[in-house]
Amino acid sequence: MRLDPGVITDSWPLFVEGTLVTIQLSVLSFLLGLALAVPVAALSMSRHGVFRGSAMVYLAILRGIPFIALVFIVHYGTAASGARTPAFWSGVIALTLFASAYYSEVIRSTISALPPGQWDSGRVVGMSRLQTLRYIIVPQSLGSMIPPGVNVTIMMIKESSVISAITVGELTYQGLVVQGNTFAPFEVFITIALIYWGITLGVSRLGDRVERRIGRLQKSGRPTGGIAARYLTLTASKPVQ
Amino acid sequence: MGFDLSSVVAALPDVGAASLTNAWMAVIICVAALALGIGFTVVRSLKYRVVNGVMSVFISFVRGTPILIQIFLCYYVLPLVGLDLDPTTAGILAIALNSSVFITENFRGALAALDDGPIEAATALALTPAMIWMLVILPQLLRRTLPMLVSEGTVILKNTALLSVITVAEGFRVAQQIGGATFRPFEPLIAVAICFLVLNLILVGVGVMVERRGALRAA
Repeated sequence: MRLDPGVITDSWPLFVEGTLVTIQLSVLSFLLGLALAVPVAALSMSRHGVFRGSAMVYLAILRGIPFIALVFIVHYGTAASGARTPAFWSGVIALTLFASAYYSEVIRSTISALPPGQWDSGRVVGMSRLQTLRYIIVPQSLGSMIPPGVNVTIMMIKESSVISAITVGELTYQGLVVQGNTFAPFEVFITIALIYWGITLGVSRLGDRVERRIGRLQKSGRPTGGIAARYLTLTASKPVQ
Repeated sequence: MGFDLSSVVAALPDVGAASLTNAWMAVIICVAALALGIGFTVVRSLKYRVVNGVMSVFISFVRGTPILIQIFLCYYVLPLVGLDLDPTTAGILAIALNSSVFITENFRGALAALDDGPIEAATALALTPAMIWMLVILPQLLRRTLPMLVSEGTVILKNTALLSVITVAEGFRVAQQIGGATFRPFEPLIAVAICFLVLNLILVGVGVMVERRGALRAA
């Protein structure tokens, strides 16, 4: 197998363009998905069964069907209803719906992980449910939302590659175009893989920084005895006693 | 062009039959990914510096790149190094490797939370490392990570739909073909979405059943 760097140097504008579109898709869906996740999380924690039920159905559908099916359903669905949505916006809508389901689960699970006494203490000092949420619950759970939130964001960025299937000119699509022109799959797919890798590593670094900023970098793990550590730890850097 | 429920019903038998392909591929991948995930975890616990170094780069790569690209790499690039796989095998390999990485990373977290005592006791009883893994660690580990394993199972099932892009005749691809033949692309997609929802519900239901039995035995 011979590497041909010419494949990459000749078509680098396509890769740059694709990377920019992937970033646009991801940033838009991140913001819109997070905005949509808040009401969904509120519904899923509601005291009324009807609201909780509708949130459950929403989550079960969005998390139960493959993302590629969701993309096509949104794309053809909006077309069938008469509105001619450009493929890019179909992609944004699908990715936003997908992200909202996972972000809302992050919000719900971190909030419900707080001890129920926190809600009671809010009531004791005469706060309403909303005030308790604003002044007691959210400040405490914000820090622990970051790590799972970053994971969902990375997952969302990776899923955006599927949007290539409805001919949105993002990174994977441009890669497939170059691959079709050059028949050099190794060079092309390794290049786009490296670009995605760079983006997701960057996002995860950013997440670490935000987490440190919010000031709650909890590291799990407790001291393990030497014998058990032989089985229970997987890092080679620590000396084995 | 409005929504036509009868087209959904008409597409259901063919799409449903093709979705069984997704189901059996998912079963094979689940078994392979679990075996690989356990294997990776045991190898990493041996703490060979070079092996773990290579593993951590591989893990970071798999976690940092889209599964779609990994499928392309397995299907288009492996033939260049002499490994010519048919689409189904290449796809199964790609998804199994992908999920095994997520499984071993999850095991890493769960292992850190296990209690030292039983392992020290087993060592004192002169059990071999292989026996300690089989009899002491894995039963606890699998029981604790079962919810995660079930959700990885649903991810695997959903990822099998991506194999349509490398021409595997599974449910999603058949739905697209029906859509192309009838000029109604939307309704078959609803049919395949229903099939995936049903398969996922079955998977989650089986998970809950296993979890209950495991909890009974643990009590």
